[in-house]
Amino acid sequence: MNRRKMIGGLLGVLALPFTLLFRNRESGAAGMRWQIHPDKCIQCGKCETECVLTHSAVKCVHQFVSCGYCLFCSGYYQDKRIHFDTAGENLRCPTDAISRTYIEDPYFEYRIDEEKCIGCGKCVKGCVSFGNGSLFLQVRQELCKNCNQCRIAMICPSNAFTRVPAEQPYIFRRPPEEKK
Amino acid sequence: MIPLLAQMRFPAPEFENYTLPEMGLEAEVPEMIFWRLAALMVFLVLSGIGFYHFRSRRAMLLLAAGGWFVFGFWFSACPCSVGMFQNIAESAVVGTPIPLGVILLFAIPLACAIFWGRLFCAGACPLGAVQEWLHWKNVPVPLPVDRVLRMVPVLVLTLCTVMAASGMGYYLCRLDPWLPMFFAAVPTTVGVLTLILLVTGLFVSRPFCRYLCPYGVLLRFFTLFSPARPQITPQPCIRCRLCEQGCPNGAILPPEPEERSEVQKEGLRRLSLLVACVPFALFFGGLLGTLAAPAVSSLHRDVRLLRELRAGAETKEVEAFEVSGTTLAELHARVAMAENRVLVGMCLGGIFFAGCGMAELIANARRRQEEEVYQIVPSLCFCCGRCYSTCPLNRKEVSS
Repeated sequence: MNRRKMIGGLLGVLALPFTLLFRNRESGAAGMRWQIHPDKCIQCGKCETECVLTHSAVKCVHQFVSCGYCLFCSGYYQDKRIHFDTAGENLRCPTDAISRTYIEDPYFEYRIDEEKCIGCGKCVKGCVSFGNGSLFLQVRQELCKNCNQCRIAMICPSNAFTRVPAEQPYIFRRPPEEKK
Repeated sequence: MIPLLAQMRFPAPEFENYTLPEMGLEAEVPEMIFWRLAALMVFLVLSGIGFYHFRSRRAMLLLAAGGWFVFGFWFSACPCSVGMFQNIAESAVVGTPIPLGVILLFAIPLACAIFWGRLFCAGACPLGAVQEWLHWKNVPVPLPVDRVLRMVPVLVLTLCTVMAASGMGYYLCRLDPWLPMFFAAVPTTVGVLTLILLVTGLFVSRPFCRYLCPYGVLLRFFTLFSPARPQITPQPCIRCRLCEQGCPNGAILPPEPEERSEVQKEGLRRLSLLVACVPFALFFGGLLGTLAAPAVSSLHRDVRLLRELRAGAETKEVEAFEVSGTTLAELHARVAMAENRVLVGMCLGGIFFAGCGMAELIANARRRQEEEVYQIVPSLCFCCGRCYSTCPLNRKEVSS
């Protein structure tokens, strides 16, 4: 009888955590995912090296609606460029992951090849400093292992990592529909 | 760094024949945790059957290997039940949203432990499985050393809970020595710990489970009242001591010797002395915890930032703070809150730790129930099934 009571008590203790479901209402049955808040990110470059994956799950994404399609894209060309041409020494991306296509005079479209992107954030820094901020870093959810404690999140100097609900796993610079 | 609104420098051009490319981000992520939970339950049931029905060491080893593959590689190794207490603590104190799956992942192995012992450690924990397979030659840990080292997991549990509950992140997961086994790009400092554990694991059975794992503390507690008492052999025991020597985890209790080694009065005196010490131990535990609080809270992100700001250091953190638009007053408030949480947490944690230590001492000083035969202690038993195979009475030729 004594043991039966103890077992009941222990089961009651185990039921206690479930009250959190009701207290912290925002959480649903679905999970939470790690994501970078682009407004907080200062492009320190830690995302490239701290992820547990050999190739970081953080990639640069391009939000085309807020892009200025600049001729001299500051995310594409580096500050100390010699010429405005696509020679390697003029480009900012260390892995040549950004491709540039002519649309109409004087506008160019910039696309990111995520296979090549290493998430260093150099282009993001350029875009934020002199451009529209349409390039930003995001955790690519199909790559992310969703570790219980993201290693990047723990050392992110700007505390830009947050957990977002899995139904809306990306944080956009500003809602795309706002500008349409 | 420039605030966001000032960043819209160039208006988007209006093209004639141009459609905006898709960003290529998936709208929703499939949630795998319920599949993981289903697999967890299957493995718990299978190890239950293997341990209680088939009573087979080989079955338990195979299950461990299966669990290692399924929970380490089929599903990604993270999240696992071992670190979930941190999520619960953070959610309870800070108020972070917590999904149902995470709570279940925490609770199911414990609920199983209440009834059937630590089946989770045997079949469903990839960390335990590695050590189970790795164990090569047994070097028994001396009893006093074992008893002292057994308190380390309690310390880990207390510290990690306090840290998670005060919003410092999950240090257990960050310093997890098993991460290099599942992910390639983990710093070498963690890898060194892994190597030490692996080498120790060759000689000492399950060094991580016994002397580090914080979830093991919870499992141990929940098995204390478990009604299932696995029998080493259904035949009458011949007291050959083989199972006791064969168990590398010290989970088999020998029967009480016929003559007592000391007078009952002396034991009683020691026991009452220990009980009388409890309030003092709790007080000192709380005091030590409180004294250690500043050291713990100095690991907190905001506390560190404030210290760097005061020192005038030029770190990335300071740079990020300056562009974030947070005022110094807000930071001060956050720091005060964090320090307060750590202080209260460490005080309670110290009391908890001292309480656990005293409970361990009292349990050791207490007279055991008299048993006729060798008994398995469910709270220390990892359900590995070694004793079944060492017991000579379980050999077929003997029993038939």
